[in-house]
Amino acid sequence: MNPESVISELRDTTLKALDAAATLEALETIRVDALGRKGKLAEVSKTFGKLAPEERKSLGILLNAAKQELESGLDSRKSALESVALDARLASEWFDLTTPAPGIRPGHLHPVTQVQREIEDLFVSLGFAIMDGPEVEQEYYNFDALNIPADHPARDMQDTFWLKDGRLLRTHTSPVQIRALEKLGAPLKMIAPGRVFRNEEVDPSHEHTFYQLEGMMVDRDVSVAHLIYFMKTLLSAIFHREVTVRLRPGFFPFVEPGFELDIQCLICAGKGCPVCKQSGWVELLPCGLVHPAVLRSGGLDPDEWNGFAFGLGLTRLAMMRYAIDDIRLFASGDLRFLNQF
Amino acid sequence: MKFSYNWLRDMVKGLDASPEVLERLITIKTAECEGIEVHGADFIIEVDNKSLTHRPDLWGHFGMAREVSAITGQPLRDPVMPQNFTAKNPPVKVSIDDYSLCPRYSALAFDNVTVKPSPSWLQQRLEAVGLNPINNIVDVTNFVMAELAQPMHAFDADKLHDGPIQVRTAAQGEIIEALNGESYELDPSALVIADPKGAIAIAGIIGGAGSAISEKTTRLVLESANFNAAHIRKTSSKIRLRTDASMRFEKAQDPVNTVRALERAYELLLEVSPGIRMVGGLADAYRPPKEPAPIVLPLDWLARKLGRSLPAEEVQRILEALMFKVERIDAGTLSVFVPTWRATKDVAIKEDLVEEIGRMVGYASILPTAPLAAATVPAPSVERVFHHSVRDAAVGQGFTEVYNYSFLSEELAQRFSLDPDAHIRVTNPIVADQNLMRTSLLPGIWKNIVDNTRHFDSFRLFEIGREVHPDREVPHFVAAIFAKDDGVAGLHELKRLAECLLPGSESRPSPGARKFEHPQRATDLLHAGTLFGRLFEFHPRMIEHGRAAVLDIDLQALMQLRSSNVKYQQLRRFPSSSFDLSVVAGPRALIADVQAAMKTLAGEALVSIEFLRDFTLPTGDRSVSYRLTAGAPDRTMSAEEVTSVRNAVIEGMRAAGYELRV
Repeated sequence: MNPESVISELRDTTLKALDAAATLEALETIRVDALGRKGKLAEVSKTFGKLAPEERKSLGILLNAAKQELESGLDSRKSALESVALDARLASEWFDLTTPAPGIRPGHLHPVTQVQREIEDLFVSLGFAIMDGPEVEQEYYNFDALNIPADHPARDMQDTFWLKDGRLLRTHTSPVQIRALEKLGAPLKMIAPGRVFRNEEVDPSHEHTFYQLEGMMVDRDVSVAHLIYFMKTLLSAIFHREVTVRLRPGFFPFVEPGFELDIQCLICAGKGCPVCKQSGWVELLPCGLVHPAVLRSGGLDPDEWNGFAFGLGLTRLAMMRYAIDDIRLFASGDLRFLNQF
Repeated sequence: MKFSYNWLRDMVKGLDASPEVLERLITIKTAECEGIEVHGADFIIEVDNKSLTHRPDLWGHFGMAREVSAITGQPLRDPVMPQNFTAKNPPVKVSIDDYSLCPRYSALAFDNVTVKPSPSWLQQRLEAVGLNPINNIVDVTNFVMAELAQPMHAFDADKLHDGPIQVRTAAQGEIIEALNGESYELDPSALVIADPKGAIAIAGIIGGAGSAISEKTTRLVLESANFNAAHIRKTSSKIRLRTDASMRFEKAQDPVNTVRALERAYELLLEVSPGIRMVGGLADAYRPPKEPAPIVLPLDWLARKLGRSLPAEEVQRILEALMFKVERIDAGTLSVFVPTWRATKDVAIKEDLVEEIGRMVGYASILPTAPLAAATVPAPSVERVFHHSVRDAAVGQGFTEVYNYSFLSEELAQRFSLDPDAHIRVTNPIVADQNLMRTSLLPGIWKNIVDNTRHFDSFRLFEIGREVHPDREVPHFVAAIFAKDDGVAGLHELKRLAECLLPGSESRPSPGARKFEHPQRATDLLHAGTLFGRLFEFHPRMIEHGRAAVLDIDLQALMQLRSSNVKYQQLRRFPSSSFDLSVVAGPRALIADVQAAMKTLAGEALVSIEFLRDFTLPTGDRSVSYRLTAGAPDRTMSAEEVTSVRNAVIEGMRAAGYELRV
């Protein structure tokens, strides 16, 4: 057989073998056999030495062409086999993603915490500091410093838990007004969320333990118009929608003038339900301009400083936000309730 | 306080607002109404007493009629006809020991009295506002109180001992039988009305039984007095008796009103007790309080307070409608005289006038305005941010937040090894046994666990709350895992949570487990030797049908430990080498001890020691495997050096009595 025939036969048989190869391993055997350093093509080239230069040259071209043809055949067969293998692997790796994922699910923040945090963030963004005060409070901070002297009938407005040591459980977060003024002075913008206590019988809308958020701004010039501005900003942010509000006179000894900010009940849309005591309105915010006596308690001259203050019922707000109709659930520790938030 | 719509209509001429409209107007302009009740042909508007705390004048219908007249602009009709009683020839001599406690005591006397039921119109009025008709005389006193806010009292003159009526402090131990059938033992902090033989009434609170009006009464003394508000309140809370009279007096009534009330009562008595005769003139011991100076009201100041300006004419119109007297000092300043019935406590400073003007002009008329204030960065609230981060960590790991009450019973305290005497006690608890302030969150969490086992087979919960100790309040974080298993997973999970909250924390089992803790499953948690918490499983006696692991962390301590400064350490530039060792330890050996021993033995060359696994051998001993990594900061350790570290650990451990599986 002349060398040309040998090369072409070798090429043809190898190409056939490549087509027949079913695995990457078979492919590799073929490659070594035909194209390897000691493969058949290499053996053919060894015979070239005896030939005339012209013949050698033309055979060399032939050999290279065959080699290239085989290499490309090998590559395409290899990628075809790889792709089949990958397809097979993929097909075998079917996984039912509707299977419930194992592992623990996140828990839930208490609804009051969620509401509190949201409002904290809101006020921090408005430049308010977050302050805190003790739950066991001195009579001075809870009452006297807030313009509620002993034997003032306003003390009856907040049924108080008294402690054997003469102190009391704070009936509101307002003592923090004084503590904040003592600590930070004026000008001051602060809020103080926290737990408060009233000696009240518990029913669906009354609790002896609940949460308030006190707010106070003291500066040279602070007016009712500023207070209303802040309350509107606050409420539209809290409820993410227009809410119907009304302002009316309210008596709180630590503000003058004082008023009640009411919001139309979100549970019954003003029709009347147990939460709003059938009135269609829910008292949301007692507020007002800081009474001069309170500014004096905080070490400020009321001729120079003015302020507004408000007290937001966080528990009540959470009830409205989530349409909860029984305040007792908050302290129930019942996960059937808490896991809903 | 109940207001009769018809009664108000008698005093506001042409009042055409319906009860519903009137209720809304009163709520918006004056005081909070709580609803309307139909009472026969009348409508009763219930006003929240709390919103009347500062308004002594609104404890009678006439005061509310004044408000309604100011709001609607319809004219007011005063029910009192001036009688011009003569001050000559007073029927009784009145002596007041201390005018600061009793600024005024006025009285009239009558004879030829007939005691019988009141006419039906009078009975209906009283019933409408929640007062029980008794007899014509007592009913007149109650009617006047409901109308003019002035409490009165009628004595049977024949049952009084001859001599002056004295207003004095009670003697120590002085006893009075009161109209309500109770007997009160008084002390000098109380004020009494007395005849020469003793107390006939507790001043401003209740009359004595001995001189009560009865069917046989034919002569009477009618008292209309004024008492110090704070003093009445003090006595009333001390003897635990609140009456319609004391409720009004403690709001600071107007002394001018005593004689007006007598004038009104006189007229009514003539009607309800035909033939009645007044004896003598008016007895009136009175030391008028110093007339308050007018309030200077600068209109630009008012505008700055309200955030809107008002013309002087409008301010004057509003104040005059509310019966303040107004004089103009100059174009921008008013001088305001407060009517006596508003001057006792309610209106004293110019801020009080801001409220009067604000509510009448309507807060809705004030345009919300953003304040011009310097933009400042608020003081950081480190603790709160920290608490929120702990909450997030817990929620991320499947714990749900609960809130528990701050109260605790003595029984539960003892169950949790807490000394009841180390607690703050509540004087007036809602439930008698919930009288301690919690010094631990554990009892609350325990109750949550027990309650929730009724609905769930496994759950995780946590609380952040304060331990309230007599001298401090300490925020704590308590987390719990309940499951119906062998409990190990829960303990491990909570330990992992503790390590997430404070990397590098260690546990140190303490021998003295508390009685509610599983004695073999309780440990202190420390960081660099500082105690910050405790991890335990509840004693099986505490939890039925399952196990609950609990983590209790002092957040104050945790925050301090966490805030310790982190300092960067150079990355190792030379490779290190690792080798594994398995140590056989006794059945109750602590892995922490094994690890500590190995760490010491490996010395400075140790880069890290990593726990791999442990299992119990058939002998009961435990095989504990570790991967130790050795290296040097300045070079690559040779194989020989690594081997010598390994040998040092092996030999050292053997010397310490451990067996090594090499």
